[in-house]
Amino acid sequence: MKSSQNGNHRRGFLQKSLLGASSFAGLNIASSTHVSAESVSQADEPEITNEVDVLVVGGGSAGTIAAIQSGRAGAKTMLVERNLQLGGTTTTGGVAFPGLFDAWGKQVIAGIGWELVKESVELDGGKLPDFAKVPRAHWHNQVHLNQFIFALLAEEKCREASVELAYYEFPSSINKTENGWQVDCLGFGTRRRVFCKQIIDCTGGAEVVGLLGYERLREDERQPGSYLFKLGSPHNPAGQQLHRLYVHGADSTNSRTVTVANITGRQSILQKVRDKKMRLMHMQPETGFRESFRILGETLITVKDYTSGRLFDDAVSYAFYPVDLHTKRGVKPKPLKPGTVPSIPLSALIPKGSQNLIVAGRCVSSDRLANSGLRVQASCMGMGQSAGVAAALAAKTQTTPLKVPLADIHGLLRKHGAIIPTKS
Amino acid sequence: MAVSGFLAFSQPFSIKVIGLHALTGFLFIIVVTCHVFNNIVPLKKYFKEPVVWVVIFVTVLLTSLFIYQPRPVRAVLGLSGNLGPVLDRFEMNESGMTYRYSPAPFYKLLLDLRTGPSFDTQNPPRLAIWLENQSFYHIKTLFVSDSSDSREMLPFWAFKVEGWENAKREAEEKELALDEVVDGVSGATQNGSFDPADYILPTDQNSSMPYRVMIEINQPGDSSQKMKDQPSLVYEVEVDNFAPRTFQLLELIGYPEFDEEKKEWAIYYVDDRFDSALEIVDSVLLQIERDLNKESTGDVKGP
Repeated sequence: MKSSQNGNHRRGFLQKSLLGASSFAGLNIASSTHVSAESVSQADEPEITNEVDVLVVGGGSAGTIAAIQSGRAGAKTMLVERNLQLGGTTTTGGVAFPGLFDAWGKQVIAGIGWELVKESVELDGGKLPDFAKVPRAHWHNQVHLNQFIFALLAEEKCREASVELAYYEFPSSINKTENGWQVDCLGFGTRRRVFCKQIIDCTGGAEVVGLLGYERLREDERQPGSYLFKLGSPHNPAGQQLHRLYVHGADSTNSRTVTVANITGRQSILQKVRDKKMRLMHMQPETGFRESFRILGETLITVKDYTSGRLFDDAVSYAFYPVDLHTKRGVKPKPLKPGTVPSIPLSALIPKGSQNLIVAGRCVSSDRLANSGLRVQASCMGMGQSAGVAAALAAKTQTTPLKVPLADIHGLLRKHGAIIPTKS
Repeated sequence: MAVSGFLAFSQPFSIKVIGLHALTGFLFIIVVTCHVFNNIVPLKKYFKEPVVWVVIFVTVLLTSLFIYQPRPVRAVLGLSGNLGPVLDRFEMNESGMTYRYSPAPFYKLLLDLRTGPSFDTQNPPRLAIWLENQSFYHIKTLFVSDSSDSREMLPFWAFKVEGWENAKREAEEKELALDEVVDGVSGATQNGSFDPADYILPTDQNSSMPYRVMIEINQPGDSSQKMKDQPSLVYEVEVDNFAPRTFQLLELIGYPEFDEEKKEWAIYYVDDRFDSALEIVDSVLLQIERDLNKESTGDVKGP
């Protein structure tokens, strides 16, 4: 009995000692895995040159899908992203509940965006909403996903589509060439010159369009951005919602305005930590921005077009979301009337008077109220896929996206699983 | 007449009870008229007595009180499920059903349901009309068919009422205001109120809260090619006092089905299993007339 007690005591001592040692030496590191990154060609050279068919600028909801689609369509594609990962608002901004893919009991946006969202949910062991059920509020049909899985899958799908990724870079100047564009990008330790036939501007604020001097639209007062964080309890991706802090005046126009918005949001979060005396368990790296510049396109989608569900002759994708303008007093979404599903025309993605240039995402040519519904992720993914097809076909046939036959665009979109707006 | 009057006060709305009460009223008038003719000479003598004038005064006073319904009278009538401090009337005929609701002199709500070819006048469908707030909580049942199977035939309405009753019970147990309980659930302070007056007749137009008028309708025994008995259908319309509209059509939103996972009734989109049920109702028009000038005086807060 005595020896047994001694034995237990000795084992307990050893266990405690080992636990103590491991927790002291490794803290939370349970194991380590070793991987080797590929060697980067010309890694020591600060200046490099690429020649591609399609250059996608911005790797958010629209840009990621545009790049994957362009790559899958056979175009040599490069994606330049100023941040550290793909996904934009969904991942860096943390708004990991994209919507809306379904309207009135039917799927209206599918294709590559839906493929990515669906696979993210499946890999995370999550569950999709029951789309046969009538959502009692629009957000009931948003798909809750794990932002980290989404970023990883987005990157994998880009690699599988042979899309060359260039993080931490952004165009500094763009010039016309005989066959398209010469785009000079800057990153830390990198000066990249890209020769491309087509550019897809998915920067959110139409930064490429701005660099090229085409007309853009912007309101004097913009919708607030949202900085997402979690106090108190651990962050449960795809589970509980993060806390949201409105950053009024948040503006994604340039690095200076983004810096100010981020500092403002973070200072406020720090103040909350002090006031509430709770642990900060999660914080996104950046503010999720809602509004900055929009292009003035060949067609401008008005709120009347949007709320009436106008089917444009050159429609390439659907959009579905309430008119959802966030203000200093909050937001009061105005749902669309039953059966209404707005469409997005190709010509609203083309900056007025431009050639070899197309946009996708929240900078779509639209008035402010229409844009408040068009700006959401599913619609941006639909636009991204359409722009990817149009740019790839334009590069292949040596023309500009607006001159690609609509039937060819629709045909390739259908081949890649997209839903084309039609008269029902 | 006293019996039928008491039944109309205490029982759920029944066209039979109201009809009985009206008939006994007419009978009473005939009896009184005969009585007056038979006793005209002695009655003339009564008018010389001061007590008769007191009786006449009291009668006029009581009649006025019940017509104009000042606050104490409304409180008493409010205890009834049918009378309430409102003018509340439901009528049904071959072309449809109308429901009138007037919780204040300056506010009139009319719900006009036009029947479709599948409406069986011999065995009318079960119907519930209720109000919901933005957080999807039942706030007031305006009408429900007087039938023993209404809860079974109208499961979505019954589920909503049960949720409201549970919240009310919880509030009473915890000695909280009802909207404190609701706020805890919905997280939406703005829509936490259960008082219909806050939605229908807000004291401050600028802080008015949108609400929904809902109807659930079910024609008993209506089989389709793919179903033995088609479930009830739910229609709704949103009313926004901030931007009021006089005429609005209710839209079909779907049919209720029990969600086994969440253990609650939910609405699902109508699919191709439905046929005749979609033709019970031709259209449902909501008409709201408001006199904003009178409303701004805040004279009557409503139910």
